[in-house]
Amino acid sequence: MPRLSRWFIRAALIYLLLGAISGSLMLLYKSGIASFPAGKLLPIHMEMLLSGWVVQLAMGVAFWILPRLEKGASRGWEAPAWTAFILVNAGIVAVAAGSAVPDGNGIVLAGRLLETTAVVAFAVHAWPRIATLDRLLEVKQDR
Amino acid sequence: MPVLTRWLIKSAMVCLALALAVATTSAACARTDYPWIHTLTPVYIHLFMFGWVTQLIFGVAYWMFPRYSVESHRGPPVMGVAMYVALNLGLLLRVAAEPAHALHPGPAGSAVLVVSAILQLVAVILFALLIWGRVREP
Repeated sequence: MPRLSRWFIRAALIYLLLGAISGSLMLLYKSGIASFPAGKLLPIHMEMLLSGWVVQLAMGVAFWILPRLEKGASRGWEAPAWTAFILVNAGIVAVAAGSAVPDGNGIVLAGRLLETTAVVAFAVHAWPRIATLDRLLEVKQDR
Repeated sequence: MPVLTRWLIKSAMVCLALALAVATTSAACARTDYPWIHTLTPVYIHLFMFGWVTQLIFGVAYWMFPRYSVESHRGPPVMGVAMYVALNLGLLLRVAAEPAHALHPGPAGSAVLVVSAILQLVAVILFALLIWGRVREP
């Protein structure tokens, strides 16, 4: 498993834990035994689990598993994938922070823009690797 | 495919069917005044995202990630079984108790929700512990 995949997947596991903790706190609030307004955790809970866990796990596994165009260990142009890792995590933190503070809409918007840029960057990396076997063999022969 | 993976993936498919059944019921009764309609949304969401998506991920990751060693394979089996039971029992209790407690709050429903919250969190912790060490080079 390449290093970037390990970073993506471990980050995803941390967000899974944070998302589960926030979800359990909300359920305790619904049960009536918790007195703090855990309902405000909902946007953070969703962000941790959707962007933090699912999207980031998918990126990590895709970076690992998608076909390689080059012989050996190369996975093509990796810089956009590394950029995606940094931007998506910055975006998640921004969205979570913006959701927690009053008048945080600007911070949430900035976070969403970071996440969108991250997805575009990852697609730039991954697009050439989404190929049929015939196409992969053509590319390897050309090289 | 290891037996725990088979349990997780089959259970995930059952949760997907249940999620869609709940969503269909909600859509079919959308124009009615039934008091329980609004209680179905969190049930649908958690059956879909936790029961189907996350459980499917757990099953495939448990199968596919690099193993610890030839001998210990994928980690302590009892931890995997405990994770499976906690996830599905916690989800089942939530599906039953959350709408009921929303309509008729009481100590019994409250207690079941607390147990459900703890079980779901325990399932996630156990999965993270099982898989963390397998996020490595083969």
